[in-house]
Amino acid sequence: MLSLTIFLPLATALVVLILPRSRPFLIRWVALAGALLAFTAALGLLTGFDAARPGLQWRATLPWIPPVNAAYDVGVNGFSLALILLTAWLLVTVMVYVLRNDDRPKGHAALFLLMATGLLGVFAAQDLLLFYLFFEVGLVPMYFIIGLWGHEDRRYAAMKFFLYTRAASLAILLSFLALYLLMEPHTFSLPTIIEAQPLAQGSTAGGWIMLGMLLGFGVKLPTVPLHNWLPDAHVEAPTEGSVMLAGIQLKMGAYGLLAIMLPTMPRVMLEYAWLLLALALISLVYGALAALAQQDLKRLIAYTSINHMGYIMLAAALAVLAPTASVQALALNGGIYQIISHGLLTGGMFFAVGVIQDQTGTREMGRLSGLSRQATVFSLLTGVLVFGSLGLPGLSGFIGEFQLLGAAVSWNFGVAGVTLAALVITTGLYLRIVISVLWGEPHAQAAAMREPEGRKLAILGSLTILSLLLGILPSWLLGIIRETTRGLAAG
Amino acid sequence: MKLWALIPELILGGLCLVLVPLAGWVRGQWRVLPGLMALLGMLACLVATARMLSWQPVMAFHGSYALDGFAHVFKLIIELSSLMTVALLMIYFRGRSQQAPAAVAVMFATLGAVGLASSRDLGLIVLFFQMMSMASYVLVALERCHRPALEAALKYFIYAGVALAIMAYGLTFLYGLTGSLNLQTIGSGLRDADGLWVTLALILILVGYGFEITLAPFHVWAPDVFAGATAPVAGFLAVVPKAAGMAALLRFMLEGMLGEMAGWPLWLAIGAAVTMTLGNLIALRQNHLKRLLAWSSIAHAGYLLMTVAVAERETGALAAIGYYLAGYLFMTLGAFAVGAHLERATGSDSYEALRGLSQHAPGTAGVLALCLLSLAGIPPLAGFAGKVFLLAAVLEGEMIGLAVIAVINMTLALYYYVKIIAEVYLYSPVQVYSMPMKKDYLALYSSCLAGILGLGIWPGPLLALLEVMG
Repeated sequence: MLSLTIFLPLATALVVLILPRSRPFLIRWVALAGALLAFTAALGLLTGFDAARPGLQWRATLPWIPPVNAAYDVGVNGFSLALILLTAWLLVTVMVYVLRNDDRPKGHAALFLLMATGLLGVFAAQDLLLFYLFFEVGLVPMYFIIGLWGHEDRRYAAMKFFLYTRAASLAILLSFLALYLLMEPHTFSLPTIIEAQPLAQGSTAGGWIMLGMLLGFGVKLPTVPLHNWLPDAHVEAPTEGSVMLAGIQLKMGAYGLLAIMLPTMPRVMLEYAWLLLALALISLVYGALAALAQQDLKRLIAYTSINHMGYIMLAAALAVLAPTASVQALALNGGIYQIISHGLLTGGMFFAVGVIQDQTGTREMGRLSGLSRQATVFSLLTGVLVFGSLGLPGLSGFIGEFQLLGAAVSWNFGVAGVTLAALVITTGLYLRIVISVLWGEPHAQAAAMREPEGRKLAILGSLTILSLLLGILPSWLLGIIRETTRGLAAG
Repeated sequence: MKLWALIPELILGGLCLVLVPLAGWVRGQWRVLPGLMALLGMLACLVATARMLSWQPVMAFHGSYALDGFAHVFKLIIELSSLMTVALLMIYFRGRSQQAPAAVAVMFATLGAVGLASSRDLGLIVLFFQMMSMASYVLVALERCHRPALEAALKYFIYAGVALAIMAYGLTFLYGLTGSLNLQTIGSGLRDADGLWVTLALILILVGYGFEITLAPFHVWAPDVFAGATAPVAGFLAVVPKAAGMAALLRFMLEGMLGEMAGWPLWLAIGAAVTMTLGNLIALRQNHLKRLLAWSSIAHAGYLLMTVAVAERETGALAAIGYYLAGYLFMTLGAFAVGAHLERATGSDSYEALRGLSQHAPGTAGVLALCLLSLAGIPPLAGFAGKVFLLAAVLEGEMIGLAVIAVINMTLALYYYVKIIAEVYLYSPVQVYSMPMKKDYLALYSSCLAGILGLGIWPGPLLALLEVMG
């Protein structure tokens, strides 16, 4: 079932490739059907998932490269299951969003589906080499998506994206290889490595391996100072590309940080947690301040991603530094909640910006105002997403930030203070979006804004409803990830 | 000794003898005949070599010629590359007078290369080196009326002559020190030799090997020769002499310079680091496909050499090299095949001709993109798995600094590979031309893609097979 979920998008991509070029709508519908099937399969995984049972479920293994002990080994815990569901749903929304777009639909749909297989695989892989393989399969299509369907400076942004992320991947690969060679007998199996704990505290090898992974996952997250590629990639990417980039691809870095780095080398992390903490705080404040300085709505949201990903880094640092297991678990819960919530909210906001740009032809905040008069339902939905992002209680963003802040307060007031300061800046920032874009007198250019088509409203609606649900009933998601965070905190 | 074990060499040698008069004799439509016979011959060699993989190692001619797993693997790689080159040459020169001599020259070069993989005798090594080089000059000069081709051939000839002479000089030192031409006897005899003389001999000998495998600073011939030669020949030069040179170098070091004599791993490691860095840095500034691939093949020689440096301490290194070369042959020949296709359609291989290729010929563009992504080491393609095995071997051989240099280089290399992909996909064409996908190109491309994807996704079987090497 898990393998089916992972490879359904790839199979759909192959079907799409053999469809005739002259039937763009058929291609779009087949792609959407494939995405829906994958989502259904992911739901099937959820129904068969026993949240009370720790460890991996839906495990499937197959020998892959026996001479080096690498295996096709997939399985899910609560954390990865939540990410798989998010990925599958965002893929569906993307396919709905582009339904009427017949600009080279074949390559477009195939690339997104291929990317989805990579992303789903990343969250399921229990073998480091397999993880790396899926990681790259998730990344490479994005290069083409940005380069082919992006805006004016797309080639520059695509190249920058590719070089940054590939350099990061190679650092990860080197770290994985080092871990592999440290294991006796050599193995890439993640559960085996976690159990064996090959890295001692204070070892030079541990330090280098940690730095390699931090560099790799840090670029993908992205954390300051490795964030430079992100704003360009987001601004130049087409709307659907931005959604997948912010919604899922950044989460590969977050997932690697929490689900690979922490459990494979807790003792090394203990030594370097200060580094994580410092990066986290800098990202939180820098991301917020940089976003404040933006006039381009899309660039602004891109910078808030850097801020939001700072929370994940903070969760990782707190999960190591906090004195008690319960505070560690609290921080991890917050981090994971933030990951899922950010995927829904930021994904949704990128859709909203896409709609605005399509209709008004601009993303300049100065030229956009009073959208709520032209498009009430759209503005309402967008408003909910914005409030969710600033952490309003009742929406999903609040739960994660609240838990993280709680963990920070119970460990160190200084850290909590900085977090809170960043939170205040982002609150102002998001209110600025509401006030200057949604409210007020309509700007001349905003007059072109109309209520978007039903399917676009449905996408936005689905994301706001999910965010609301997660905000009101946090126990549902927390229940799924509970055993995972408990295991991570105990490790 | 079993004569059967020499079947591939006998087929190649026999065909060479038959094809030389035949190639001079055929006219008109019959010109395809030598090529077809060469194809069949290579195929027979491949089957015969594959059959021998499971055999016990045999030493022929008083221990001067080894027929072991190591040799068989390299022979398979060489024969497969030659087979594909002959096919590409036949397509490229269809209906032209060069078709017949091209096939013959490839046969000679292949015989030399195959012989190098087995030679354990200094005399044989020099002989086969010469045989391979001679045939290669002919290949480069195939386009007789093309001035750059003649210049390239002359340059190649002079460089190779000097390099091989220096190498032969170095080899005489070894004979002087041990009184033997046999690598194994040399290996045991050098134990009591003066280290200074051995080091001097090693440096001189590395000039020759370095020339064939484009080890910096003996690589300078490669870009000009590649650019001057036709694309199929350039592809051949990028793969076969390199594979044969690697095989010869490995055998020389592992059998003749036992116990890391004269510190050769360090020499090779330095050479590898310089070679890959230089190759990548200069490749960044190229604007012709063949020149770019020439520099990138120099960089790849660096990756391979770093693994040769750890070959004595790490047993997995040999399999890693074999695997990498197997993947490398598909992706390099695939890229050069696209280059040949393009050269025929536009008369040029500049980036401008490549621009917007995906709109003229989506299939060809896809092949080129996959070959380049594989060369860049993107999973799940063959180049990725190959790089993983190389890096793992180097890390295991405790040359961690070298592995880090290699990774930095691989990052650097991304830029120029992706730049071409960007030209092909992201820009609109500047030239108008048609580039139909004919059946013959389609067959060649599919075999390259099958190799790249197959080796990348399912490396297990080949790795298991490569265990015969060690």
